[in-house]
Amino acid sequence: MVSQTIPVEVISEKSGGSAEVTLVPIHVMGRRYMVPSDLTIMKAMEYAGYQFTRGCGCRGGICGACGTVYRLPDSHRVEVALACQEIVKPDMFLSQLPFFPQNKAVYCIEELDVDEGTLAALYPEIFKCIGCGTCTRSCPQDIEVMDYMAAAIRGDIARVAELSFDCVMCGLCIARCPAEEAQPLVAILARRIYGSHIAPRAQHLQERVQQIDDGRFEDDLNELMKKDLVELKELYVGREKEPDMPDPNWRPTDSSYL
Amino acid sequence: MKVGYYPGCTLKGSAKALDETTHLAVELLGSSLTEIEDWTCCGATTPLTETRIANLIAQTRLLAKTRDAGYDALVTTCPFCFSTLKRANLTLANDELKRRRMNTYLAEDRRLRDYETPPPAWVDYSGETRVLHMLEWIRDDFGFQVISTAARVSLKGLKVAPFYGCQLLRPADELAMCDPENPVLFEEFLGALGTDVIDFPNRIDCCGSYLSVARPEAALRASCKILDSARMHGADTVVVTCPLCFYNLDYFQDEMLRGNPEFKQVPILYFTQLLALALGAPLDKLGLDSHKVDPGPLLERFTVNVPGEVPA
Repeated sequence: MVSQTIPVEVISEKSGGSAEVTLVPIHVMGRRYMVPSDLTIMKAMEYAGYQFTRGCGCRGGICGACGTVYRLPDSHRVEVALACQEIVKPDMFLSQLPFFPQNKAVYCIEELDVDEGTLAALYPEIFKCIGCGTCTRSCPQDIEVMDYMAAAIRGDIARVAELSFDCVMCGLCIARCPAEEAQPLVAILARRIYGSHIAPRAQHLQERVQQIDDGRFEDDLNELMKKDLVELKELYVGREKEPDMPDPNWRPTDSSYL
Repeated sequence: MKVGYYPGCTLKGSAKALDETTHLAVELLGSSLTEIEDWTCCGATTPLTETRIANLIAQTRLLAKTRDAGYDALVTTCPFCFSTLKRANLTLANDELKRRRMNTYLAEDRRLRDYETPPPAWVDYSGETRVLHMLEWIRDDFGFQVISTAARVSLKGLKVAPFYGCQLLRPADELAMCDPENPVLFEEFLGALGTDVIDFPNRIDCCGSYLSVARPEAALRASCKILDSARMHGADTVVVTCPLCFYNLDYFQDEMLRGNPEFKQVPILYFTQLLALALGAPLDKLGLDSHKVDPGPLLERFTVNVPGEVPA
């Protein structure tokens, strides 16, 4: 690695000043760039002049649009990252993988007949899984992808939903799978089934929705609508808040809305 | 000997009754089976070409994981899982090149993060875990004499036809379980339960296996021949070890009846259902509701008749 430092101007509210930034080499799709060492892969690519129209979404590690593969010079292994989350490493060779083809099964979640065979009926290719574990190694979210595919094969929908919960659907496992699976699609189907067919219904929510439908809060809302901005702000700022670590028996002084 | 239990995928789906009655029977024998953690599919078939070694990865990981969890042996009830795991185990013990390639691959099974503490290093696997079929385990760890003594319900008069299927028998030199031409293990087991074991010539035939997917009519013909033969030799029921044999022999019977109104239906039972029944399990714990041909009426006369000793 050959790094260099460059002086930069520091702009702050109090005073102007100067500092130094270390630049490190990275290789984007084979081409070498010197980029500040503390940038994320995504910002480093932008620093180098790339403009993202695809392969970039939330910039917060949630949307899964910026799946990236890279290699380091001293290892044979393929590394993975979300470009918006991982800081550049000197001498990394990288490429973003903004999209990988995957065929979603068509289903109406409410009308599905749910049993051990449901996932396999919609994605029969899950039986091609040979348990090589490449998917688990390719997951930037550290999800046990192979284990949830194993659970999918034996029809354990709740287990798939639980294990795959952190999936952002970046598609890196799909790109790397030798059995041509589309793991995240199987997983999101399992989570949807879990949510709509398996998880217990929240009774209190249904009761509250019913109360709203019955017009129980109509008068209170109309009262609020009549207030002007100053009064609304006062009400909002002065509202009674639940303490940070409330006593389990904590109740608001005014419980007329409960 | 500390044994882990590998149910296999089918036993969590269409063959739940096999899994549940396995646990039930072992508990009635005063023991218990613990499932190994986070298991994957066994691979379902053994790779038949020398170069296709990717299909050995799952088995190697499973067997190593079993060893590392402190078990001496892995017990399966599904003959497909048994065959696949046992054959992979032999390959890992005897084929140096494949053993090296599997271990090299699996040593890097996990990708280590900067912030993770390294897990224990991979210890090369070379076939240390014994792979046992449930029938072998019962014979060797309990003994057929013990289940004979432990039986609380006399199954005398129940005419059972043991059906081996293919996966327990061949390749015989690798599985080393029974003489493939004249096996006796299943007969000895059923005899110990007190049943009247029927000898019939088709007991080591193939049920049609996976042809039930690609060419169901061929599987139906194969299964029909087995059932007719068992029936002609006086069997009340055909007993199997394998979920696929069960599927072909049981689920196709409606179809057989449609094709031939003279066809007489024969209830199919898993060997563990019969074992649990003999050990005193009530009928409603045997998972009989998953059967197409209901064995209920046949088994009703063989339920517990010792008052005050009905297990929960």
